[in-house]
Amino acid sequence: MAPVFALEPLRLPVFGLAGAVISLAVFLLLQRSIVELRRRHSGRREPVLTRLLYEALQSTPVQPEPLLRLGRRDRKLVRSILLRLALDLRGDTGESISELYRLLGFLQRDLARLTSGLASIRARAAADLGLVRSPQAIPALLKALNDRDVRVRQASVWAVGQVGDPSVLRGLVGLLEDRNLLVAHRAQEVLADRGREVADAIVAFAGTSSSRSGRLAAIELIGWLRLTTAADLLLEFMDDIDPEVRVKSVKAAAAIGDPRFLQSFSGGLDDSSWAVRCQAAKGLSLYGSPDTVPGLNRALRDRHWWVRFYAATALAEAGPFGAEALQAALQDPEPPVRDMARYLLERAQLIPALP
Amino acid sequence: MLETILGWYTGFMLIFFFTINSYYLLLTVAGFWRTLRVFKEVRRPDQRRLLRSPLTPPVSVLAPAFNEEANVVENVRSLLMLDYPLFEVILVNDGSSDDTLRRLVDAFDLRRSARSFEPALATKPVRAIYESPSYPNLVVVDKLNGGKADALNAGLNLSLYPIFCAIDADSILEPDALLRLVRPFVDSPGVTIAAGGVVRVANGCDVRSGRVRKVHLPHRSLPLVQIVEYLRAFLFGRMGWSTGNSLLVISGAFGLFEKRAAILAGGYATDSVGEDMELVVRMHRYRREACQPYRIGFVPDPICWTEVPENLRVLRRQRTRWQRGLIDTLLRHRQMIGRPRYGAVGMISLPGFLMFEMISPLVELSGYLLLPVLWTLGLISASIAATFFCLATLYMVLISALAVLLEDLVFRRYPRTLDLGRLLIGAVLENFGFRQLTVWWRVRAFWEYWRGDLSWGVMERRGVGASAG
Repeated sequence: MAPVFALEPLRLPVFGLAGAVISLAVFLLLQRSIVELRRRHSGRREPVLTRLLYEALQSTPVQPEPLLRLGRRDRKLVRSILLRLALDLRGDTGESISELYRLLGFLQRDLARLTSGLASIRARAAADLGLVRSPQAIPALLKALNDRDVRVRQASVWAVGQVGDPSVLRGLVGLLEDRNLLVAHRAQEVLADRGREVADAIVAFAGTSSSRSGRLAAIELIGWLRLTTAADLLLEFMDDIDPEVRVKSVKAAAAIGDPRFLQSFSGGLDDSSWAVRCQAAKGLSLYGSPDTVPGLNRALRDRHWWVRFYAATALAEAGPFGAEALQAALQDPEPPVRDMARYLLERAQLIPALP
Repeated sequence: MLETILGWYTGFMLIFFFTINSYYLLLTVAGFWRTLRVFKEVRRPDQRRLLRSPLTPPVSVLAPAFNEEANVVENVRSLLMLDYPLFEVILVNDGSSDDTLRRLVDAFDLRRSARSFEPALATKPVRAIYESPSYPNLVVVDKLNGGKADALNAGLNLSLYPIFCAIDADSILEPDALLRLVRPFVDSPGVTIAAGGVVRVANGCDVRSGRVRKVHLPHRSLPLVQIVEYLRAFLFGRMGWSTGNSLLVISGAFGLFEKRAAILAGGYATDSVGEDMELVVRMHRYRREACQPYRIGFVPDPICWTEVPENLRVLRRQRTRWQRGLIDTLLRHRQMIGRPRYGAVGMISLPGFLMFEMISPLVELSGYLLLPVLWTLGLISASIAATFFCLATLYMVLISALAVLLEDLVFRRYPRTLDLGRLLIGAVLENFGFRQLTVWWRVRAFWEYWRGDLSWGVMERRGVGASAG
């Protein structure tokens, strides 16, 4: 019987739990009421403050005076409006926003937040500094690239990409081989957007980097940015021993479409990696030349479905010569070849669809 | 002797109730911290840049459909309007006996296509493939009925892109849901192999043209209670599990997967009714056994809306199916349980699911049965029985109320203060009838599983657009 009666003292926890539930409910309703009040205040003040902001931004030089006299809550609202505007407005207005942000003391505050003990605050500060694109923030952001916390580093990479001029952006190229893949990918993302300004650095990095992941990222960038200056390097990489390097190089070359690649694409159709063969077929579609048809015709009979698909797509896109080859493939003894040819001709609306 | 045994069992149950509720509390709090971290983390303000970033991978959206003639056209239209740079929608008509296919053919000017595919996964025969000249990114596959998993496998075979999104044909994705869910794949390509998004309850919402225009709570108590349950278990619970890369469930209604990883793991299991959980566990297993680094994540802000059952009959079928799926997955992968080789999955989440999801209904039901027995035998006073019941109930209410509070702090999807009050009422109501019923259904699922029942049952939908109010 003893364990059963041992339940008796649990009456206190029951009341404790009931109290906790009631407190939670009260807290929930209270915090919602506070949020609602704040929201109403913002709704009331935002139009007034936005008008003040526009007046300040439109004057030359930027006039912060009326905004400097605002109370704490209004200043907080002004800051959030400025950050929203900064996201959408670039050019001269963007510069005015950045200047006003500085004159109102927000920049100094963000720079101080960038040294906070809390990583989430530092990351947020870096992101905000990136948004307002203030050149004065560059030294601090460059320092933050080496922060001990990966979130801060990621945010700083993004921010540097927003603020930095080409000389600063060059620093991001080296991060493509960063040991932390999140940082490396963020650098690649930024460079995919602004990499043309540092094209030479990217090409040089691809040629010299000893890191496989860094090199692969640089090759991808070369393709995305269509850096024709990297043609010789890509030709070299297309014979690399690493199949991943070959795939990415052929893909990048297919995006660039330099006449010098023709030979390599044709050779790529015999590569041991099916992914290389796919990309080589895609590359050959760029030329619209009868010389490419025999190779693509051969690839149309490849053992791998994806290579056949890419080859047929390439033939369909290669102009009249390709279409002729596909029409001829309709008579092929192999059903997969016939099906693929029929499908691509159908898609190109060169033959009617099935009933 | 009997008295002693009953006494000790009562003590065991008390400890069990305390442990299971503490487990839910811990999970909710962990999920909250994780959510906050994700939100505070470099939430880049320019998320929309992903729309034109070359790093954003193209996605194949796979939507299996079985007898969905009522909503299928509108749902496909909504999918085609997703904000995403490059995607294809593959709707798999899984041998519907209604007009699903004809409605699609008429609405989208579909024509039979000679498209071939690589049969990487075995499926029931495909009868025809349809494509549309007006919607080049829409493919409709008509195949013999083989179940949801088979339909998804057929869609996987046909997909052209490296990432696929599995959704229910009747789910409504928010326009930028895919763009948000793809973030882990952009940040860690090759490492992230799957990511789940949040599934929320659409009952009561204002839905027009395949979009949720206004979020409202349903008037009926059954879906209201399920909203609280979804918040607690599916939002913060899954977020909590994702903390240590030990998430076991990505809802079949909305999940993103690396195609290669899914195919290497063997695709969806066609002989399981819990194919979504089973695939995730198998992907964990495959990667752990191959010693390959990977990440299976959960993203709290991409949202998929779905309709939940509004009557007990349909709810029973859904819950017994979920439980059968859970039992099946845990038994299939029992070798992983408690094995350090499988990391946090083998040492924490699988044992957790075994104890607190699979076995707990048995213990809970025995508790409900035991209390009146003890009282009748005079072994326990009415006040002690009440104390015991109050303790368990209040703890559960506390966790549900906490989940509501956390939702309000982070997402605030229910903007009216009245809604909060109703959610809190739902958190209380859940424990009076709903919880006991689900416990009973989950126990029944053991019997159904033992009988080899693999049926899905039919989800009767009122149509979310029609259910407002």
